[in-house]
Amino acid sequence: MTTTALELTSVTKTFGGLVSLDALSLSVNEREVLSVIGPNGAGKTTFFNIITGVYQPDSGDVLLYGTSITGMTPDRVARMGVARTFQNVRLFLNLTVRENITAAMYGRTKSNLLDTLFGTPRARRERRENEERVLDALSFFGTRLQGYRLDQPAYSLSYANRRRLEIARAMATGARVLLLDEPAAGMNPAETHEITEIIGRLRSERDYTIVVIEHDMHVVEGVSDRVIALDHGVKIAEGSFDSVATDPSVIEAYLGRGSAAKK
Amino acid sequence: MSEQDQVGRGIGTDDWVAQHEDRVGAPQTGMARLAQQWTRLPALARWGIPLVIFLSVPFIGSSDYILRIGVNLGLFVLLALGLNLVVGYSGLLDLGFVAFYGFGAYAYAMLSSEQFGVHLNSLVALVLVIATTASFGFILGLPSRRLTGDYLAIATLFFGQMFAIFVVSSDEFQLPGMSDAVDLTGGANGITQVDQISVLGFTFETNLSYYLLVVALVVFFTVATKRIHFSRHGLAWRSLGEDAVAAQHMTIPTVRLKLLAFTIGAGVAGLAGAIFASVQQGVYPSEFMLPLLITIYAALILGGLGSIPGILLGAFIMVVLPEVLRFPDYSNGIFLAVLVISVVATVKSWKVLVWAFGGMVVIGFLVNGVLLAMQVPYLAAKEWITGPLAPVLGSWVFMPENRVLFGNIAFVALVGLAAWMSIMSRRTRIIVLPLALWLAIWTWEVRLLLEPSVTRQLLIGALLIVLMASRPQGLLGKPRVEVL
Repeated sequence: MTTTALELTSVTKTFGGLVSLDALSLSVNEREVLSVIGPNGAGKTTFFNIITGVYQPDSGDVLLYGTSITGMTPDRVARMGVARTFQNVRLFLNLTVRENITAAMYGRTKSNLLDTLFGTPRARRERRENEERVLDALSFFGTRLQGYRLDQPAYSLSYANRRRLEIARAMATGARVLLLDEPAAGMNPAETHEITEIIGRLRSERDYTIVVIEHDMHVVEGVSDRVIALDHGVKIAEGSFDSVATDPSVIEAYLGRGSAAKK
Repeated sequence: MSEQDQVGRGIGTDDWVAQHEDRVGAPQTGMARLAQQWTRLPALARWGIPLVIFLSVPFIGSSDYILRIGVNLGLFVLLALGLNLVVGYSGLLDLGFVAFYGFGAYAYAMLSSEQFGVHLNSLVALVLVIATTASFGFILGLPSRRLTGDYLAIATLFFGQMFAIFVVSSDEFQLPGMSDAVDLTGGANGITQVDQISVLGFTFETNLSYYLLVVALVVFFTVATKRIHFSRHGLAWRSLGEDAVAAQHMTIPTVRLKLLAFTIGAGVAGLAGAIFASVQQGVYPSEFMLPLLITIYAALILGGLGSIPGILLGAFIMVVLPEVLRFPDYSNGIFLAVLVISVVATVKSWKVLVWAFGGMVVIGFLVNGVLLAMQVPYLAAKEWITGPLAPVLGSWVFMPENRVLFGNIAFVALVGLAAWMSIMSRRTRIIVLPLALWLAIWTWEVRLLLEPSVTRQLLIGALLIVLMASRPQGLLGKPRVEVL
């Protein structure tokens, strides 16, 4: 019996006259990797922004394990268990690698300022636990973010390492659902291959439920249990990678009307 | 991929990380070596040495004047540490901060003077002052929920100006429905004869007692800031300052933390204000206006935003330097030192250095000769210069009798030359450098030294510009990167 981790029921979002999401309904099962594809402007990032509370839907509901998270602010959504990465990496550039990850544990720790000032057992225990969690999250990416790099500012990292750090930071929030917005954008083939592998391990080793927005079809093919294609805020296809990739309406959305017929 | 074969885990092995230790070389320059020695000292020593020095100041023959500067320095440090939470950590440009200092001072004065005939117990008054100032901080923080950057700066600046105007004009305060106007703040005259703080039977009367009180508070707040820096809240504030949107997505309740930063910052400023009112037994509106705000920001930026030792050093420089520069002997030395150091720091080739300073000396003697030949009346060295530099400068600098006239001409020439130099090619700039150096020193000795109270501001400004140009991150700050 599979449980539904994340569910959208008939979510509509418009910006002025532009319909970004049009009565979108979908559900993501626990431990599933769902890919969302679609041309630019299809509403993919709006879809993430609706889930994480950046935007409020005009109508419809977002459910996390059956609880409505519609209308919650992003920090509450994150504490409820949904963490994301950003299309254009948004790290805390002047904080170190260690600090970037520790900062994301705000929601799962409880020390207040007095605990900090007087170094109470609670503050010390949480500090120890955080330290372990940092290493745990980073160990997922091999040694490249460890050692001296732990105390290097994030801006000194290479682009690929920043993307990795952003995933580690999302893991550190303690979320069960990860939303990855174009995790392989701007990466070379080897790095893209590695990201595919990492997404698979996130699910198999850490039991995350993962929603991926991605343009690189090798990644989509490699990681997805299920693929959803969006165009103009409407779900135009859903199913396995092969069935969606060959769906005439998807080809039409990407290449224009008539392309499917010629093929 | 060979990289993947080497390790069982498959991915992510990084030789660069593994070899890091071998790549880190020894520091090259003398300054860097000294800095390394200092950072190798145990933390207790690094913080303890300055503390011991400051604690021993009152006991090695110091005057009330020095103690008073010390008290001002301490209060200034408290303000800077409070503002650092808001600006340095959370990145909220709060230009109304000084109003909280003023509010604390006025609130304490109103609760402990004949203004309203109220003389509260000091502890009660202090608690009240801190609580009300903090709540004002909370209110001023409210716009920061949505306003950021420049817009927040304007909103808070407005609040700060409002406070200043309110204080000056509320000697006849009248609300609709009130029969008589009330004197709330004493207007431009302020509130005088404020009670001094008295805790458990001990009244703070002497400068020494205030000095020790302020040192204790500075130690407390420094330790607190240091602890907060890496703590849950410190990290949340700093990530908020880096990227508020990302921070909110990483479980950090940004609105609450912004308000918390404003509230605590204001509370600290309120405490400092109350002590200030008690030290000088009075409050006057002119003390809580823009110049103070600018000085605090200058200290934060000079030391390095977000760096705790940087804040302390920046505050020390901004408070002590203007006092030192009151004395022409000191300011003379400092001016020459800054000039020489900044030239040495910017000119890398030492051939150019020899040319610059050698040429400067020659030009000085040439001008001496020319002006003597023209029989311009002059002052003998011993009439215008004292201090350790007298023997050197006395025979090199030509001091005309009419210092104001010659000085003004030289000053205009210097400004013109500096402006021209900024658009010169590198070659021409090097050729003119000796002339510019000589002109700068001559202008300084002939004209600017005449009025130390004006020139010290000029000098501090110049110092800030030189420092910012060579170290934008501040003296002890880490270089920050905005977008890459």
